[in-house]
Amino acid sequence: MLTKRGFVVVFGGILLLTSGFSYTNFYLTLIGVYLLVGLVVTLPLFALTANVAGIEVDRKLDKNKVFSGDFLRVRVTIRNTSRRHFDFIEVWDQYPETWILAIGENFMASRIEPGSSITFSYILQARMRGRYYLGPTEVILRDRLGLHYYKRTLKARTEVLVYPTWKDVRRMEALGKQRQLGRMFGAHRTKVVGMGTDFAGFRQYMPGDPFRLIDWKTSAKRGKLVVKQFEMEKNIQIVCMVDSSGSMGNGYPENTKLEYAIRAAVLLTYMGMERKDLVGTCVFSDRVHAFVPPAMSPNHMYDVLEALAIAEPRGWSNFEAAVDYVTRQVNKRTLFIFLTDLEESPRPLLNAMKKVIANGHRAQIISPFGPWFEAPVGQFGPVERVLAEAVQEELWERRSKISKALARFGIDVVNVGPEDFLPVIIKQYNLAKQRGVALY
Amino acid sequence: MKWVTWILRILSTATFAYMCYIVYNQLSGYWDWNAPYTFIVTVFRILSLLLFYLCVVISYGVTAAVVGGQTANTLATGIYNSLILRFWYLQPYGFSGPMTNVYQVLALFQSRLLTILWQLYDLTFTFLYFLFAGIGIAMFLQSLVRMEHKFVGGAFLSIQAIMIAAAFRGLPIYGESPIMTDFISFLTSGMQILALVSFAYLEVSYQMIYSYSVGKPVEDREETLKKQLLALRSATRKQDAIERGEKITSTTTSRWSGATAFSFLREVIERKVLGSREALENLDAISDVRRLNIYVDELLTTNPKAKDELTARAAAPSSTYVITSTVTGSVIRFLSVVVLSFILMNPVMVVSLLRLPPGIANSVELRQPEIVVLLLVPVVLLFAFVAATIRWLSKSEIEARIELAEKESKERERKKRELERKRKIEEARKHKRKPVARRGEVERDEWDAALDEIYKE
Repeated sequence: MLTKRGFVVVFGGILLLTSGFSYTNFYLTLIGVYLLVGLVVTLPLFALTANVAGIEVDRKLDKNKVFSGDFLRVRVTIRNTSRRHFDFIEVWDQYPETWILAIGENFMASRIEPGSSITFSYILQARMRGRYYLGPTEVILRDRLGLHYYKRTLKARTEVLVYPTWKDVRRMEALGKQRQLGRMFGAHRTKVVGMGTDFAGFRQYMPGDPFRLIDWKTSAKRGKLVVKQFEMEKNIQIVCMVDSSGSMGNGYPENTKLEYAIRAAVLLTYMGMERKDLVGTCVFSDRVHAFVPPAMSPNHMYDVLEALAIAEPRGWSNFEAAVDYVTRQVNKRTLFIFLTDLEESPRPLLNAMKKVIANGHRAQIISPFGPWFEAPVGQFGPVERVLAEAVQEELWERRSKISKALARFGIDVVNVGPEDFLPVIIKQYNLAKQRGVALY
Repeated sequence: MKWVTWILRILSTATFAYMCYIVYNQLSGYWDWNAPYTFIVTVFRILSLLLFYLCVVISYGVTAAVVGGQTANTLATGIYNSLILRFWYLQPYGFSGPMTNVYQVLALFQSRLLTILWQLYDLTFTFLYFLFAGIGIAMFLQSLVRMEHKFVGGAFLSIQAIMIAAAFRGLPIYGESPIMTDFISFLTSGMQILALVSFAYLEVSYQMIYSYSVGKPVEDREETLKKQLLALRSATRKQDAIERGEKITSTTTSRWSGATAFSFLREVIERKVLGSREALENLDAISDVRRLNIYVDELLTTNPKAKDELTARAAAPSSTYVITSTVTGSVIRFLSVVVLSFILMNPVMVVSLLRLPPGIANSVELRQPEIVVLLLVPVVLLFAFVAATIRWLSKSEIEARIELAEKESKERERKKRELERKRKIEEARKHKRKPVARRGEVERDEWDAALDEIYKE
């Protein structure tokens, strides 16, 4: 392939050649011939040497799973396994458009000798959660004079899974540390008196109490029989139902309803694990995309993050199928926290809620209210503002009806916006803990 | 690598100077140093003259219609006598006077215009030699500093353009007589020396750019990394200072603004500025810079090779190898070009091999420059064909592997899509559609209906 420079040489050659012909000048003809012959004379040699099969590209990442906003070092090694040298090799390692090149460059150009290798690295910042691919690597081989080139794409792509952002957790931890109240700041322990080993207090002996519980010393002091009471902390079980239907993808790119729901789910799981509660996660739309049952295993958090990382807003919300699936998997009493925008038909939703309640579980809906996530009304013109307000009112009315209908089953609907989404999830979790909902 | 580039830079200068010298010598006697000035002055005068006559014709017509022919005549001739003869001094261009009649003025204009244009045409070529030489030298100087192929090509073409212009004028320059059939005479002829020196200039200059650009990316990477790290540290320091409530010095601020060349920091700064509405966004931006700083520090302390890999220092090619390959590559190219060109420019050799009839072998066409096309086109195409064949034969295995992998992945994707499609159709069947309200019926909100049902239960 001729480069632009090559074409300029061709142009120059033809110009001189034709000038020579026109003015019957052998010098101009000769220099034209020189240019044209000089352009092609090394072409077969270049074709012979520039065989990309002799080039191996290896891409290594520090890790294949990162959190959104984290930094990742990419190392690219180019090896010349052939016996030929490559005069000028350009290597471009592609990375996802939404990511940011933080340090270094994803490009390298040099000469590579037979049997040798060159390594370069660069640091990227992963911006949004999801499954991404680094690569492919584009290799351009040029001849010394830059007149010819061959371009090839080498090295298949490397998959990188970007977990949802961890910044909310960091922020919460930082807040806890700042107030010097530790991680349990604002938490409420759910205690059951009667069992366990933690001493809770004394009470008067009742017939039927085991004799071993009688505290003889205290009984002697008080003059009546007193028994020791013990308490035990009980934990709750939660399943976070994340709706990933198409409507959840509305809003600004990094601030969609789904993104907030995912951040809320991450925060909830983290808090639950910190306090020894069982928190599971289900990502669903028209089918269940991922379900991580409530567990306490060390890798549980990563399982949840993985499930949430690949959630994409598409399809419609099939609450019945999701609830059916999860209730079959979960036997113990569970608090279902739905993170959904409730933009589906009411009947399947009500049926799903009925099923949740009928199975002895509890449910709670935290619903992002669409207009609050989209363009702020202040940015609209007068006509758009009126229309937006009308739509908002209608949607709000619909919300009231939903709340009313679900209240019949004892299910609360909390409407949230981008600012209060995360505080609400923390609050609801603490309330659930306080009330001892869905103890296991 | 720098010393290799410097050597080639000197060689490039030498070849360019020699090329210019030969061209200058070729046209000795034609370099009239007053030509540029005379040319520019003539152009301006002829333009002024045209404007003058246009104005005279219009004003004469208008004045004659309003105040009568004699006044207009006096006015026009008066302007001619004072402007053309006294102020613009157009006597050297054949204008004489003074005139008393406007018709004399117009007749003189018609007769002298062609003479002036012809003089201008003559001057144009001398002016062009200077112009091309000036452009050539300017481009050559640029090429030494900027190291770009376009300047080298421009310098070469500009100098050759002088020869083209001279050939067009029919001046006695190299190339008027046919190429010698004897190789030694061909090599030592003045025309061949100029052609070789010109080609050598191109070759050496391109090699100079190669030696510069092959080491440049590594140097650039090192420089970029330095700037990025400096910008990062300054940004972090600035944040710390703000947090401590200190006043930021101008140096820190300028460094911070200098960091806009660094895409990550720029992005962060933009987020901070544009997203000032939300304090949390500011916090994120600050935290990102700080985390990156920590990440880089950790990386550089824990991995001693990290910095070298970021700068790709190891990728810098060895100077010895570059200079050796430059010399061998250039010599091979030079020799092959000279030999091939000799064969192409001398069809006599081929003609003698073909044993053509004497009528053709001694024909005048064989002594014309156009005869070169007879062999040039097939030879050029032959090289291109051979290269294409080699490429086709040595089609890389890796490419085939990638193609195979892509095919497999496409097939998997297709199957997945097919399954998804089937599942969706199935789901859609199950999913009850919302009944369409009949005509005349008032459409009822589905949530009202659902509420009613619940209350009934």
